[in-house]
Amino acid sequence: MSGDTNEGALVAYSAEADKAVVYPLRHGVKPPISRLAISWSRGNTLRVSVLRKPSTSGDSGDEVGGKVVEVKLGSGDGDGEISDAQWRRIAYGSVSPFALLQSRRNSISTLSKMSFNSSPYHVEWWEYVLEYSREINSLLGNRQSPPCPLIEDPKAVLKKMEEPTCLKAAWELMELFYADKLSQAWLPEQLVDWLADYDSLLSGTQMTIHLKLVDFQKDLVSLQVVEDHSKYWEVMSSALAVGWLDIVVKLLRLHGSYQLDQLGKREVIAFEILQNLKLDRLMSLETENGLVEAVAVLISKMPRMRPELEAGKLGECFKAKPDFIKAWEKWRTQITKLECSAFWVQCAHHQTREGLRNMLQIMLGNTNSLCTATCHWIELYISHFLYVRPFTVGLESMYNLAEKCIQLKPVACSHRLMGLMIGILSENIEVVLAECSRGFGPWMVTHAMELLTAGSDQADILLHEERNNLGGISMEELHRLVYAQVLSSHALTWQIAPIYLTSCMKQGMGLLEILLYKQPVYNNQLLLKNMEICRLYELESVSSNIMKIAGMYHWKHGKKGSGIFWLQQARDEVRLNRIAQQMFDSVGKSISDESFRQWEGLIQLLGSESKAVGGLEFLHKYRDFKKCLLQIHDGKTTEAAHQAVESLISLMKNPSTPPRFWLPLLYDSLKLLNWQERPLLNASQTSLLLNKLQELSMAKLRPDFVEADLPPQALSFVRLALATNLGRANLEEQ
Amino acid sequence: MAITAVQNPTQIHRLPQSKYIDAVRWLPPLSPLSKLAVLAVFDADTDIPSLEIHSLSSPSSSPSPTLTQHSRWTPPSRISSLASSSSQPLVAASTLAGSLHVLSVGYDPMVDDNGDGLVSTMEPVLSMDEAGFHVGPICGVDVMESVLVSVGEDGRVNLVNFGDKGFRRVFDGNGLVGFNAVKWASSSEFVTGGYGMGLQWWDLRRPGGPVSQFKANWSQGKNGGMVHSIDIHPSRKHTCLAGGSSGAIFAWDLRWQQQPIVLSGVGIGDAATPSLSESEVWEVQYDCYTKPSNISSSRVLPAMFCSEDGILGVVEQGEEPTELLAEPCAINSFDIDLQNPSDVICSLEWESIAIVIRP
Repeated sequence: MSGDTNEGALVAYSAEADKAVVYPLRHGVKPPISRLAISWSRGNTLRVSVLRKPSTSGDSGDEVGGKVVEVKLGSGDGDGEISDAQWRRIAYGSVSPFALLQSRRNSISTLSKMSFNSSPYHVEWWEYVLEYSREINSLLGNRQSPPCPLIEDPKAVLKKMEEPTCLKAAWELMELFYADKLSQAWLPEQLVDWLADYDSLLSGTQMTIHLKLVDFQKDLVSLQVVEDHSKYWEVMSSALAVGWLDIVVKLLRLHGSYQLDQLGKREVIAFEILQNLKLDRLMSLETENGLVEAVAVLISKMPRMRPELEAGKLGECFKAKPDFIKAWEKWRTQITKLECSAFWVQCAHHQTREGLRNMLQIMLGNTNSLCTATCHWIELYISHFLYVRPFTVGLESMYNLAEKCIQLKPVACSHRLMGLMIGILSENIEVVLAECSRGFGPWMVTHAMELLTAGSDQADILLHEERNNLGGISMEELHRLVYAQVLSSHALTWQIAPIYLTSCMKQGMGLLEILLYKQPVYNNQLLLKNMEICRLYELESVSSNIMKIAGMYHWKHGKKGSGIFWLQQARDEVRLNRIAQQMFDSVGKSISDESFRQWEGLIQLLGSESKAVGGLEFLHKYRDFKKCLLQIHDGKTTEAAHQAVESLISLMKNPSTPPRFWLPLLYDSLKLLNWQERPLLNASQTSLLLNKLQELSMAKLRPDFVEADLPPQALSFVRLALATNLGRANLEEQ
Repeated sequence: MAITAVQNPTQIHRLPQSKYIDAVRWLPPLSPLSKLAVLAVFDADTDIPSLEIHSLSSPSSSPSPTLTQHSRWTPPSRISSLASSSSQPLVAASTLAGSLHVLSVGYDPMVDDNGDGLVSTMEPVLSMDEAGFHVGPICGVDVMESVLVSVGEDGRVNLVNFGDKGFRRVFDGNGLVGFNAVKWASSSEFVTGGYGMGLQWWDLRRPGGPVSQFKANWSQGKNGGMVHSIDIHPSRKHTCLAGGSSGAIFAWDLRWQQQPIVLSGVGIGDAATPSLSESEVWEVQYDCYTKPSNISSSRVLPAMFCSEDGILGVVEQGEEPTELLAEPCAINSFDIDLQNPSDVICSLEWESIAIVIRP
């Protein structure tokens, strides 16, 4: 990696990696430690195995010989404004809207059999995207104010709100520009609302009007005569500049002239002032109050090009442009008239006079006044939409205006929201993506991509085009894969990664298989959750491989029953046969004694379905045979003896019975062969057994033969018994 | 919590927790107005498991009920199974490391949370982590009066009596068999379940091994699968209800031993049996709230289940199943409140709790 540039890097990394960080390990293993093994675990976690030197003396038998600890690298803080748990909640919540949108896309494309950009369904598509966007937006937090207090504090100009997040602000910005096609006509007003909601986010790096208001709110409690303070007028003109009309009017009503008991009269005076009538009879204070009220009335009657306003917000809404232009001209004329009226001379209070006139200048769109009243370029930008160019349409002219505002109010360090805003305005999809990725992470890019592609055909082509430098995948797929990787790295979110992986045409399924293989198999519940994902995506071979891995894990850890269960599920005959060979060692020793009951459960599990059992089928028959032999020992004779003979013959006939068991089986059956009353085996059965003995002597020559643990004369006893039996059977059959 | 008027539709409240919930159980109320639940929680950020008691209340200011944490206890390892006694305020929890813990729940006389109700506390009364108790995770635990039974993947079946020291080994499968679930039928009988959809009936008066074994022949469909949960109705001890893989819910009547009564499931029983779920059924319980349409003693009583594919539903023999909740993520456990059987608490895979209040 080159140290200073990120050129060629697909995912940005920070230069902070140069700093050394120390992670303390608490392993609790007593020294001396002889070995350390380090490997990657899930996500950002390192797995460190600490091994102690095996003690030579026996005195420290209770000491742990080693321990495996996991170290989480990095604090995983991301941007700090959203905790890990909240990120997970967002990740969970966005699964359903994302999946629904994908399935709609699929059904539309199969319906139309065309690229849906050119299909008639395109009209509906953005509606689906908008629905999706609204759902995602609701996940990012609801801006609900706490219930209003019964007695409203007249001096509380700022409403207490839950702290907004940059992520939500960014999402709403994307929604405004790309998804919400209905509101495109009143985009400037939408931006005014957006800034009103999120101006406080910009306060972190720079002075903002919101910060000014917060400061002033603190001072307000102690101020006696507000209108004497220049800050009062300053704050009001600032709030007016960005269109927070309700706050301005509320502040204006704190003006000292309202304390006179002239409630009914002041509206009349304001009306008369606005009509520019001659009012020589007015007292100075009355004039002052009338002027304040006149400005307040003008503010609350400001024409707004939008369908509606939230309750409590001021202005008059116009949906149609001609109506709006007419009202706007009329409103401007009223302001100009008031500007030029003679009443200002009668207003004795200097600050009030200047402050109000400055506010009129703002409403008239005086660039200098707007520039002084605003702090951040975006505030200046918004003020232009409100008072200078309310008819601005088209991203190009919006971008030019933004550039002009940035020139007037340059910023030292750019905020991530502003980076995104510039990217959107400059109509550069790649910049928007890069800003989303840099500022808000993989979740944002993956989910905002849907808005981008809905926004323009150009973006759609750009993001879906297969690129050679990305190994043949598209930008959309790349970012989904990155996000899926993030999800896969956490124990609680890996289960939702498949949703995103399966939406990736090229690399998705391959990575999904890797993800499924990497999940731990020791916990049955997790294993079954893994199997369920395999079932949903029809990955039978993956699921059977995982079951094999699980089976071997359990087998190695002494849980023979679980091991065999999983191998049976996987229909892994090769391994079952291997296991069978190993099992026979312990069977030979233990099946005859008291621990037989333990085998009972296992044999039950094996069931009678021979196909899935492999070599273990032998166990089932051996169990039946042993049962009969035991019954003979207990004295229940003839019937059991006949059954035992049948079992013996079927065991010896069956190819799954290993040759090493032939002799022990026959040795166990000596009693049957030497049956007192009459020979139990007929001639053909006896010759079968004799043949087996013959085969056995051949098998003994093979290097992999295991000698059974029997008395040395066992073979001759069996031979003798078989020979005798053959003789007796022949006699009887004649 | 006040139960709302009869006409109201089923209320569903989802309460995000920001921690993984391994299991959830209601607790018998300590006072008439209290509603307590015990949660087995795992914090993925810190890797710390805990057992928490929460009280559920519905404040008038908020449209949905809230869970308030009262007390918390840290087990030595993640909790694998949770049982609460219906008669006494006791919680039994087993861990993945093979230890078993019993905690008694009571009110803290010293703390009064601003008159809103008393704060409940948890006091460990028994901890069993002797070497040789269980090897590896304990998968199931159940409590009857003062005796606990625990089963594990290691194939061991152990009894622990509150009064005594140590434990009593009923059976040691030596890993040749493994058990996933256990349920008391009476003070001397219990049922275990595990691999291969098998069930075992044990009687302490006849030691040595299971008295009766049930292994259904599911050969027409998938052979495999395992039992995850068992329930036995106190008035019908001869019938054992079990839920497991492939959406299987069946009843085993001791009187008709080799023939299971299939209530739901894919590839088992009649093809006509309707099935809401096709994946793992994590938990089954008799649902005492749903009125049985036929009260003949040969009919299986209505049962509630939750599944990996996110379904909480009620099944009844010969009736269409009813779906109470369909989530985009797994429902890992649930419990029906015995005091108010209309109320169900569920733990969801995506770190949240759901409360279902039926009309």
